[in-house]
Amino acid sequence: MTDRIVGLVLLAAAIWYGLTAGTYEASFGDPLGPAAFPVMLSVPVAVLSLFLLLRPDANPDWPRGAALLRQLAAICILVSYALLLERLGFLLITFVAVALLGRLLGSQWHKSAVSGAVVSLVLFLTFDRVLGLPLPALPEFMS
Amino acid sequence: METLNLLADGFAVALTPTNLMLALLGCFLGTLIGSLPGLGPVNGVAILIPVAFSLELDPTSALILLSCIYYGCMYGGRISSILLNIPGDEPAIMTTLDGYPMAKAGKASEALAISAVASFIGATFATIGLTLFAPMLASVAIHFGPSDYFALYVMAFATIGGITGANPFKTLIAAFLGLMIASVGLDPGTGVARFTFDSFHLYDGFDPIVAIVGLFAISEVLMYLEKMDQLPDKMVPLGRAIPKMKDILSGGWAYMRGSVIGFVSGVLPGAGASLGAFLSYIGEQRWSDKDGSFGKGNPKGVAAPEAGNNSASGGALIPMLTLGVPGSGTTAVMLALLISLNIQPGPLLFERQPDIVWGLIAALYIANVVLLLLNIPLISLFTRMLSMPQWILMPFVVMVSFMGIYSISHSTFDLLVMVGFGVLGYILRKIGVSLVPIILGLLLGADMENNLRRSLSISDGNFAILFQSPIALTLYAITAIMLCLSFYLAFRKRRGAESAP
Repeated sequence: MTDRIVGLVLLAAAIWYGLTAGTYEASFGDPLGPAAFPVMLSVPVAVLSLFLLLRPDANPDWPRGAALLRQLAAICILVSYALLLERLGFLLITFVAVALLGRLLGSQWHKSAVSGAVVSLVLFLTFDRVLGLPLPALPEFMS
Repeated sequence: METLNLLADGFAVALTPTNLMLALLGCFLGTLIGSLPGLGPVNGVAILIPVAFSLELDPTSALILLSCIYYGCMYGGRISSILLNIPGDEPAIMTTLDGYPMAKAGKASEALAISAVASFIGATFATIGLTLFAPMLASVAIHFGPSDYFALYVMAFATIGGITGANPFKTLIAAFLGLMIASVGLDPGTGVARFTFDSFHLYDGFDPIVAIVGLFAISEVLMYLEKMDQLPDKMVPLGRAIPKMKDILSGGWAYMRGSVIGFVSGVLPGAGASLGAFLSYIGEQRWSDKDGSFGKGNPKGVAAPEAGNNSASGGALIPMLTLGVPGSGTTAVMLALLISLNIQPGPLLFERQPDIVWGLIAALYIANVVLLLLNIPLISLFTRMLSMPQWILMPFVVMVSFMGIYSISHSTFDLLVMVGFGVLGYILRKIGVSLVPIILGLLLGADMENNLRRSLSISDGNFAILFQSPIALTLYAITAIMLCLSFYLAFRKRRGAESAP
């Protein structure tokens, strides 16, 4: 079933990709132009996705319950980290993210908080001070 | 003799104090990273690429550092295979088959010593092969025209991982997916923006390093979060620290046989270390398994795949350096590094920048000796890394990845892209799609298109030019044979699985 869904998504993507590529035009340059190669790619992908639709493999075991929740939580943490890094500053957001991820990975609150503090300090010193890559250290409103 | 002179020049480059220090550091770090459970060589090298950038090294030094990390990871990867039964990456799977039983039988330090010696012999054999054959292949490759390169890329995509038994349809899909992702951004020929959704973030396309770190490191975290409820095998204690010489010698000729088989499979573009380890193990089993002790802790079952795996990783550097076509996941990552350093691998690299090529090769010889010395006496230090809890390790790896990527572009958009690739990588791994062809497609897509367009502008749009040179025709013939073989094997495996109860 999973393979069939992937095949269907892929087929749609290949058709969209090929059609979009077909509209690219350039009045100069080589005889092939910007459209030809992507169009050439879309055809075999469409054919291969048909194979997935017609001859799918057995279903993988998708995670359920607690495992799925853990994964979703981790993705939320990572996305929030990316969005908030520059606003909240490196030290704070890294502390929070490492502590939360550590908790997700099965440690206790106090241990993962310590790990968060250590990781955020060590990485800040390494990247900002030793390697000379300036990081936004503090929250926006404080700096 | 010319080769020897060039090699001597290479040693002069590699033995400068900075480069020697970097080689030592790389070996140590690599072994450390390789021995961390769940963090294989691809992850290790990928995460450290941005860090190596920020050191502002010159290209040769950066390359030496990362190659030593790469070799170190290959050495370190065996430790968790043997003591924990957790392979760090795909090629290390074969080492668990006899390594873990040996460790359980109280011969952990012997298994580790045998695998260290096997790694040394395999990797040294491959480095000698690299010294001898890379210049030869480069002098052939200099005659490749654009249409021949196009044929070569077709061959690399069609054959990568194809004969290891994964579903060949899915491997091909992965390669095309990579090529499609590579086409995002401004078209280099005409400046037309393709698949950018009018977002200026996408005008430069996807940075392969961002994609690689996401696909491998972030998806690994998601994998672990899924599996963490299942209790892993217990770690086996090390026992005696220094093994006896007699035990090391019990590997016998298996070291050499594994090295040769591994080297040959490593050189084939697209085949790589997994195939090398697999074939070495199967070959050794046919050759010397008289009493059915393979899989129950036979020392030769540790020596052969470990020699094969390391020999193949060295061999895979040949197509990567001379043709720009990597043969394994890690060499694909190395290619990403070269491209980011503005070094275009290929036959011209040997002519124009011999100090880079030969400095690198000399550094590999040095790395091998250093790694052997590091890995036998200091083994108990590295095994201690195995007891590092995942709740410390994983968040740390994630943060280093974030910082590394952020330090390249100072764009939080890239961080989101990385997380996106992580989710994609997780889904693809779950449905049995290999990630290496995606990386390969992403790295080679632009070059493949350029060569196609260049050959068609030579012929003024006539597609027949693609099938005119004898080199291209030979490559297409090999491609066809390899494809048929992989589909035949997959078909047979599938039928076997269906007829089994």
